[in-house]
Amino acid sequence: MRERAEATRALGAGTAERAGAPRRSSRYGAASRSFALGALSVLVLLAAWQLVTAGGYISPIFLPSPPQVMRQARRYLMDGSLFWHVLSSGRRVLGGFLLAAVVAVPLGIALGTSRTAKALFDPILSIIRPLPSLSWIPLTILWFGIDEGQKYAIVFMGTFASALLYVMESTRRVDPLLIKAAQNLGATRLDVLREVVLPGSLPGIISGLKVCLALAWTCVLSAEMVAASNGLGALIWFAKDWNNMALVMVGMVSISITVLLIDSAFRLVEDRILPWERHHRRRDT
Amino acid sequence: MAASVIVANKVTKIFEAGRRDRVVALEDLSLEVGEGEFVCLVGGSGCGKTTFLNLVAGFLAPTEGTIYLRGRPVAGIEPRAGMIFQSYALLPWKTVAGNVEFGPKMKRLPRAERRAIAERFIRMVGLTGFERFYPGQLSGGMQQRVTLARLLAADREVFLMDEPFAALDAMTRQVMQEELIRIHEQSGKTTVFVTHNIDEALILADRIIVMSARPGRVKASIDNDLPRPRRVDVQLSARYLALKTQIWGHVEEEVRRHIEATPRAGGE
Repeated sequence: MRERAEATRALGAGTAERAGAPRRSSRYGAASRSFALGALSVLVLLAAWQLVTAGGYISPIFLPSPPQVMRQARRYLMDGSLFWHVLSSGRRVLGGFLLAAVVAVPLGIALGTSRTAKALFDPILSIIRPLPSLSWIPLTILWFGIDEGQKYAIVFMGTFASALLYVMESTRRVDPLLIKAAQNLGATRLDVLREVVLPGSLPGIISGLKVCLALAWTCVLSAEMVAASNGLGALIWFAKDWNNMALVMVGMVSISITVLLIDSAFRLVEDRILPWERHHRRRDT
Repeated sequence: MAASVIVANKVTKIFEAGRRDRVVALEDLSLEVGEGEFVCLVGGSGCGKTTFLNLVAGFLAPTEGTIYLRGRPVAGIEPRAGMIFQSYALLPWKTVAGNVEFGPKMKRLPRAERRAIAERFIRMVGLTGFERFYPGQLSGGMQQRVTLARLLAADREVFLMDEPFAALDAMTRQVMQEELIRIHEQSGKTTVFVTHNIDEALILADRIIVMSARPGRVKASIDNDLPRPRRVDVQLSARYLALKTQIWGHVEEEVRRHIEATPRAGGE
């Protein structure tokens, strides 16, 4: 009976379920409790910040106070420019990231399943992978100039090798017993790829891509600091030049919030395409 | 005995691990399994029981000798043999129905037909109502029922079972044994069942083959003449105890030999 309840929950097509609202009261309690604790710790941090700046323990030159930051934030929100910066950065992140993913996923699966391909590509991969995205800036500027193409190229170079490695590893880590069982049931090589290797590596691929998405943000921000007229990285860099630390912090907080939002969007997608993992994840949280 | 379905003719399997390590898992093993027969392979760890199943299924190739299925040698993954693994090996991303339909799907049967087959065997193992569950949501006993249904749906000529109930608790195991007896009576499939549990072998088998410790060979073949249908109370009969004593005699010798031959602890 319990099993059944568990299952209906996990399979449940209800929209509330999908939005991540647990149905059972005990679980709901646990979730709201951890949310309250999280909110509390953020509030404590804000209070401490307010205390040290308003109390004069730290000069506003070194650390602007929360009201100062709020004022800057309001100004940039009101005239819409903050939104515009977020949008330009977000577009570059998604563009470059999708480009890297579109190439890395099929290539990684090929490398993960074929020993020859792996032997061919492994050395190239280990040369490219340790290079930080910043080191690509001079060359990409030379090749693409300083417009959007260069930003996409930076993100691509900064995330591609890692994405490829994640995909390769998850493909290779599919349980060989499952492959054996499928073959025993009459699966051909192609069937094994489609029915076992792909779904089996999907959770690993997705969590790898999540890491790469975060990586893409650092790539874009550093690229924008070097050469861009808009985007959150450029905003932070201009603010630094104007000696406006409150605005620098507005830029930083905007990055955190944007990444947080994108992450939760990603999690919704995950629930959709990995339905069999849903009950595992719920049990963990 | 009726015509032999499985014939192993002087089969030797040697595993080479590294330059020096060389394990003779099976040596000159010969045995025959008749049509519809339920044979249990019994022996301690390291006697090559699982290796033998892997050879029949075609996952491994013998180093020497040949295995025949209805007179045709096994070469490559054998489409006529279906296997059940101790750790279930269900596809976690497929529902119960999806897993059971896998064999028919690989045969490219039309969807409606697949559905009908799956429904029939899910009913046979008593899992009706659980079709849309994922394996991760089921207990171990239920998962092993799914593998039974999956095997039945794949419609293989020979069933190979590698300690399928070893991970189950004692009570679930007993229920599953009775189910398996029932299913075997209904399907009449030739079955080779590997276990290290003598009681399990005595409940299930028509014939019990005791294997010697490494290298694996047939040490004894004992006809199990306990009356059918067998229920748990057969374990109280004098005949049961006599058979068990006889089998244990063979097994004990081998287990002792294996323990003494294994250098240090945890050799396997």
